[in-house]
Amino acid sequence: MSINLLERRRKVIVRRWSIVHGQWSRGRLTACGLQLIALLFLVSCVARKESPLPIYGEREVVGNDTVYHTIADFSFLDQDSAIVTHETYKDRIYVADFFFTSCRTICPIMKTQMLRVYDSIQNDPDVLLLSHTIDPEYDTVGLLRDFANRLGVKSSKWHFVTGEKESIYKIAQTSYFSTALEDKTEPDGFIHSGAFLLIDKERRIRGKYDGTKEDDVNRLLADIQRLKNENEPN
Amino acid sequence: MNRTETGKNAIRISILFISCSVVLACSTKTESMNHSSSTKFEQYFVQGEQLYLKNCSNCHQTNGTGLGLLYPPLNQSDYLQNNFEEVICILKNGKKGEILVNGKSFNMEMPGFPSLTDLEIAEIATFVYNSWSNERGIIEVSDVSKILSICDSLTVVH
Repeated sequence: MSINLLERRRKVIVRRWSIVHGQWSRGRLTACGLQLIALLFLVSCVARKESPLPIYGEREVVGNDTVYHTIADFSFLDQDSAIVTHETYKDRIYVADFFFTSCRTICPIMKTQMLRVYDSIQNDPDVLLLSHTIDPEYDTVGLLRDFANRLGVKSSKWHFVTGEKESIYKIAQTSYFSTALEDKTEPDGFIHSGAFLLIDKERRIRGKYDGTKEDDVNRLLADIQRLKNENEPN
Repeated sequence: MNRTETGKNAIRISILFISCSVVLACSTKTESMNHSSSTKFEQYFVQGEQLYLKNCSNCHQTNGTGLGLLYPPLNQSDYLQNNFEEVICILKNGKKGEILVNGKSFNMEMPGFPSLTDLEIAEIATFVYNSWSNERGIIEVSDVSKILSICDSLTVVH
């Protein structure tokens, strides 16, 4: 009796559905439904198959593992006079660059672009920024604090660090592969690259971008998301 | 058509032709006068834009908005509107010390551009003062030269 009731109800629903959708028979509906499911599968599979970002630097095969180039340990002072180390960035994705506050050539453009990155990751607990000054003699903690405040950014999200000149230059060149040299003949007194480096949670370089070019920074913003997706547990 | 009509038509056409020529000749003259003064403005503006993009846009941005409290805006800036002579001097000599723009304090040193000629300064100023929401008309080289000779004695309006 109840089976009949169910059967009747099913027939009513199908009939009503058919009336509403004209020629849509049950068979057609099922076919459409299956196709939709297949499409969703395809889309999700394709999305998942996005190729991972490259890993920059030298690599060494040790036994069954590949050891990649990583950013060395560091210890600097940020705009709040807080000590910032590699531990601050542990298990985080971050973007690093090298600049100085009195720079008039490429740094203003880099800061404009880095501000775009800051705005996009402001509410993302996974991503941080790290700007190193290559003129620590002039860029004191106080000056960096004033600079960061004038940009309107939070120090917990974007650390502006200073420290020993040699340590900064060394990490720039050997860890981040970014040029940073004092040169009195240059207009601002320094040769430095406008590169933004994208670092993953394992301290490996996953991307290098020209911080003076808007479309390269667009690529960086997209790559940050790709990197986050890579880290998603499968 | 008989000869009288042909004649009349000929006269009509001639009158038409003559009056057209007169009108055209006269209008061309006035047009070229306006055209030449607007061409000068356009030349200054276009040259000024190139110079601005090369020397100024990295800090003040291509849309003149500046950057945070680091580099002041040039669009909708009370300082720019109220301190024309000072601005001309700043282009050449740079600026140190605090300034107030739209009630906000800016204190980053701006480098001067001493290698810019008076003409180039007039061109950049023409571009800046006639871009975005700014409108002032052409800035003449003679005015720039006059102002640059008295930079030390200027006072700033906040």
